[in-house]
Amino acid sequence: MNFAVISDNLLYFMVGSWPNGPIGGAALTVLLSLASALASAVLGLALGIALSQSKGWPGMALRTVLGFLRAVPVLMLIFWIYFLLPVVFGLDVPGVGAVTVALALIGGAYLAHAVSAGIDSLPRGQSEAARALGLGRWDALRLVILPQALPRMAPSFVNQWVALIKDTSLAYVIGVSELSFVATQVSNRVMVYPAEIYLFVAAVYYILCMIVEVGIGRAAARYRIRPA
Amino acid sequence: MFDGFLAPRYLAWLLEGFGVTLTLSALTSVVALGLGFILCMARLSPVRLVAAGAGLWLSAFRNTPLLVQLFFWYFGVSALLPENWTGWLNASHGDFAFGLGWPSFEFLAGFVGLTLYSAAFMAEEYRAGINGVPGGQILAGRALGLGSGVIWRRIILPQAARNALPPLAGQVMNVVKNSSLTMAIGLAELSYASRQVETETFRAFEAFGAATLLYILAVAAIEAASQVLIARDPLRRAARP
Repeated sequence: MNFAVISDNLLYFMVGSWPNGPIGGAALTVLLSLASALASAVLGLALGIALSQSKGWPGMALRTVLGFLRAVPVLMLIFWIYFLLPVVFGLDVPGVGAVTVALALIGGAYLAHAVSAGIDSLPRGQSEAARALGLGRWDALRLVILPQALPRMAPSFVNQWVALIKDTSLAYVIGVSELSFVATQVSNRVMVYPAEIYLFVAAVYYILCMIVEVGIGRAAARYRIRPA
Repeated sequence: MFDGFLAPRYLAWLLEGFGVTLTLSALTSVVALGLGFILCMARLSPVRLVAAGAGLWLSAFRNTPLLVQLFFWYFGVSALLPENWTGWLNASHGDFAFGLGWPSFEFLAGFVGLTLYSAAFMAEEYRAGINGVPGGQILAGRALGLGSGVIWRRIILPQAARNALPPLAGQVMNVVKNSSLTMAIGLAELSYASRQVETETFRAFEAFGAATLLYILAVAAIEAASQVLIARDPLRRAARP
């Protein structure tokens, strides 16, 4: 094992060719993760609320779309967005954008079910009591249901965000210069010690995932509303 | 050009790719379901060191990207192994099993990477299934004078299997979906084939559409199979004398 290849290329692993070129490496991985985590949370919350509130055919339609997103490999979805949108709509999607949208859609689809399950897990009496107090449907949701349901969903959000961090590596297949791509570049250039390079890269991802898992887990535990 | 859809030649590529996806997924699922159970048992071991080691192992495989793990197995391990080993692995060894040829190094690396990754997730599903068995069940078993082996086999595991079946089916679906990443190490599975067809024909919609449909078909088949298994409740059968 020879880890000199890591220290020699450390800056490149961390930020890519920045500041002389576009930002890449681990920094781009973090940016991709943040953007898709935020977008998936907003999407998951909105779709989850819609899922729990809709009955009949709109609910069925939503369920079908979410089922589709959950059945398709992330890689396929990235292909759809990256290669198809330019052909169909004539708009050129940058790789970073395609990956963010794909990850947000998949993450949102998984979170929607978690959010809807979290809302449904509350006793019916909660929303009935809120309505009886004269709150509208939206206010009942915002003031009574969500504050109780959100802490219950925290583990799902953490799991999904960890999955998102790992899935940003798929940007590699369309040539986005995030950490995995940069790693293969270095590996191809130096032609030696690929095991060391990929172990190091795995360790960086591990640390990023742990920050989310431990960090958010702690924060969520602190704000958890304990049942009276 | 091709009367609306892809020429038979390209459809054949896609179907061949689908065959590789199914073979890899099936082999991976079977081995990972077994390995996952062993890892779960190690994680629950009363020996502290074994449990901690298993915990570290599971955490490492669950919290790093599958793509990086595949790169490690494909590029890294071939560099670490003695040269004649790699040569041996790459060479043809005639008939391997069931009249199939010796698998390519891409397939082997993909299989090892996907199996170790999936087994770590399955181990946690088994563990959740076992933890979901109420503690009173174990105490009741002890009160009846049953030994711990019998308690495990007749009380805990049948109920745990019932709990774990749906999430494990989900993990098998994930195996099929995750097998798409092996295209990055050059395995000619379904995603690889669809990309190849797209490059040759410029028919992105047909190429990705066909591949997407095949993935959905495979995932739906697993879902249906799991529903059948759930309907034939393992608990009811286990309870029979």
